[in-house]
Amino acid sequence: MSRAAAPLQWLTMGLLAVGLLGLSPALSLSLLAFGLAVLTALKLREARSLEERRLVALLQLVGAGLLAALRPELGPSLLQGLAILLALAGLLALELGAGPDWKALMRRSLQVLLAALPIALVLFLLLPRLMPFSNLGTGQGMGVMTGLSDSMEPGSIARLSVSRAAAARVAFPLGGGPPPLGQRFWRVLVHQRFDGRRWRSTAPPLPRPAAGQPTPPPPAAPGEGIQLWLVEPSGLAAVPWSGAGRPLSPDLTLQRSGELLNRAPGSQRRVYALTQTADPGDWRSQPPGPIDLVLPRGENPRLEALAAEWRRLGSDRQRLNAAGSWFRSQPFRYTLEPGALPRQAPLDRFLFETRLGFCGHYASAFTTLMRAAGVPARVVSGYRGGQWVQPVGGSGYVDLRQADAHAWSEVWLQGEGWQRVDPTAWADGDPLASAVTTSETATGTAPWDWLQRQWWGLDIAWARWWLGYDSEQQQALVQRLLGDQRHLLGLVVLLAVAISLAASLGGLGWLGRRRSGDPLRLELEHTLRAFARHGLAPQAGETLPVFAQRLMQRWPALAGPLNAYVANYQRQRFASTPSRTGRRQAQRLGRALRRSLRTGNLPKEAVQREHP
Amino acid sequence: MISAIGEVLLGKEHQVRLALACLLARGHLLIEDLPGMGKTTLAEALARSFGLGFKRVSFTSDLLPADLTGLNVFDPGAASFHFQPGPLFSQVLLADEINRASPRTQSALLEAMAAGRVSVDGVSHPLPRPFLVIATQNGLDQGGTSALPESQLDRFLMRLGLGYPPRQAEQALLRGEGLLPDRLNGAFGPEDLLELQGRCDRQHCSAALLDYVLDLLERSRRQPAQGHPLSPRAGLALVAAARAWSLLEGRDHVIPDDVQAVLAAVCEHRMDGGQRGDGDGALSQRLQAGVDGLR
Repeated sequence: MSRAAAPLQWLTMGLLAVGLLGLSPALSLSLLAFGLAVLTALKLREARSLEERRLVALLQLVGAGLLAALRPELGPSLLQGLAILLALAGLLALELGAGPDWKALMRRSLQVLLAALPIALVLFLLLPRLMPFSNLGTGQGMGVMTGLSDSMEPGSIARLSVSRAAAARVAFPLGGGPPPLGQRFWRVLVHQRFDGRRWRSTAPPLPRPAAGQPTPPPPAAPGEGIQLWLVEPSGLAAVPWSGAGRPLSPDLTLQRSGELLNRAPGSQRRVYALTQTADPGDWRSQPPGPIDLVLPRGENPRLEALAAEWRRLGSDRQRLNAAGSWFRSQPFRYTLEPGALPRQAPLDRFLFETRLGFCGHYASAFTTLMRAAGVPARVVSGYRGGQWVQPVGGSGYVDLRQADAHAWSEVWLQGEGWQRVDPTAWADGDPLASAVTTSETATGTAPWDWLQRQWWGLDIAWARWWLGYDSEQQQALVQRLLGDQRHLLGLVVLLAVAISLAASLGGLGWLGRRRSGDPLRLELEHTLRAFARHGLAPQAGETLPVFAQRLMQRWPALAGPLNAYVANYQRQRFASTPSRTGRRQAQRLGRALRRSLRTGNLPKEAVQREHP
Repeated sequence: MISAIGEVLLGKEHQVRLALACLLARGHLLIEDLPGMGKTTLAEALARSFGLGFKRVSFTSDLLPADLTGLNVFDPGAASFHFQPGPLFSQVLLADEINRASPRTQSALLEAMAAGRVSVDGVSHPLPRPFLVIATQNGLDQGGTSALPESQLDRFLMRLGLGYPPRQAEQALLRGEGLLPDRLNGAFGPEDLLELQGRCDRQHCSAALLDYVLDLLERSRRQPAQGHPLSPRAGLALVAAARAWSLLEGRDHVIPDDVQAVLAAVCEHRMDGGQRGDGDGALSQRLQAGVDGLR
């Protein structure tokens, strides 16, 4: 048992503990993982004998596997990989005796892990999958999102500070470019309840998961592209989406209002997929309810007077257009520091006096105007814009920050359904308009930001290829591999496992042999193989000078290079400590010897044939 | 010098070399063969060629330890005991037919061989240097012999069998062309032997060579069916003998070939436990074939 065994095992324990920190205690499997970790730690504490320590190593490996099933995202996976590496090194420290040091143990452990990769790959690709993609990485936020909240009262905010905190990433089907900036609206919450100052969402704050497993939605059709979302923790019950397409996760449900409710309990971050389609979803044609026209009367008299003029217009479309042109005719200016609005008639003050505000002001005022004019309208909050990031060697994604949080309006137009109207765009200094010219070409990112974006790129690739490899993709692969011979799958899996196992063991054996010989010896074996191809190999226990004698009897012409080679080898080996120059000399002489064997050998045999 | 001894012992150059190596390695030599094969001649030639003091004891079953070591004799003139050294106090002791003596006598010899001194009545008397025991023994199938215990066998660096000389050499012998040992004039003295022994210790043993020896030892221990396992002392003996052999070969470092050359002589008697097994050197040959000699 190596001295490194105990520290290695404790280190593994520490890594496993770090991995456990991210688990939600709500899942029964995480309780199992917690229990296993505690038991393993106790066992490690009291373990004295080799057998007990072996048991600890095995328990640690099982624990890491359990963690891998619970936390399959990129970051935790790397942590689990490291834990497995250390656990294996600990096990090797137990088995390999006192000889190897830390470095050797880690190297050997890495070799063992690499050797296990082929078989893992085969099983990953071909073994039937138990869990659908969507069950992975579900999460419930612990923190509170700074960009969005389920109630909105812009008038009370005098100054909005911009948070660069990450909100979400969205990746599009492979090879797809970024959607045009004007189309990058990602809705999260719909605010329908209005009390004159505050807009509230109708969605329940955190829906309880329904009893029983939700039925998984039908998988994406082969032609459909997939949009991949990675959302940072938020306290919200809804997750962002584009408003078109269909969620591929059973714990995401589409509300009539067009919110995508997240029913999953769980960890911090959320990974989910949507199909990407161009046609609008059903929610757009869901008729408005009475709540979409609710407006406390008398709060903002000048606003109501203005809306009353539009009310006389014939159609909702005309009222909308009139509002648009009115907004454009007024000197509205976008600012993050609009100053607080009075409690009395705040929207009148905004619309007719200050004309300074951010998205919340515009959305709120416009929606109120529309409701006053008799057009069903509501406020939608979500994200807009975002930066298109092209990570090195990966596919691009849109990086959404909390600063990209936005609010806009939706109005119901008869025959057209719910239509998005972004009144902020009518104001001077709308950040989106300036973003068109600057942010897409922004290159001067800080190194930390750059690193973070590369990491997210990796994260997305991981989610796409690793988490996203679901039973559908597997079926497709099997179909492509086997065609109609699907019943042979078991045989193929067995065969592939056997082949990869043999390859791994062979590789490990080769590495072991390779490492046992020093460079000088490797060179000797190389040269001996050249002779072995001509049918002459050393006998058991034979020494090099004796073997060289036999070689010289067969190839007298080789005597010169052979003697030089053997003399140098013997000198390096037995007369002095091996040196770099001696090794190079051996390589040079070995090359010369093999060359003369190749070239000098054939005429010799020809001569022998002529004179038998 | 080898050729000089070779003239005495015709057709046995390899054995002469081994015996010389044994002498250089400060080891004791056991020569085993049938009577009349030249055992005594070899021992005598070795001693004389270095001009060493040479004594010969024929071991019989009634030989007592005191006959070997000497004893305290009362001197009436000085009214005290004084030590009268026995035949052990010589540079080369030829112990003829050692396996005819009683175990008690053999063990007295044992101490002298191992420690280089003799204890009589609680007083240690150092033996002269160099001190070399050349013992001969007849085959165990001969009458009146008792086998040497393994512990004592282990103290002999080498065991040689002489075997019959080749026909040509025997012909020369019969013609009377061989030299008698006492005609060997010592071109070397005992100081030369001591110096050569010192040079043996300075022969370079590389890590690769020690690895080879260790592999041999380990293999002998891992295959108990192939004779007794080799002790650490056997390993020391092997290295010492290989050093002496490499010196005789005119090299300043030891190579596996040296180890292989002395392997049978050094290890065979330790592995077969004194029983001549199925053919000469079969065990050590098998051992040698089991370990990679290329290094």
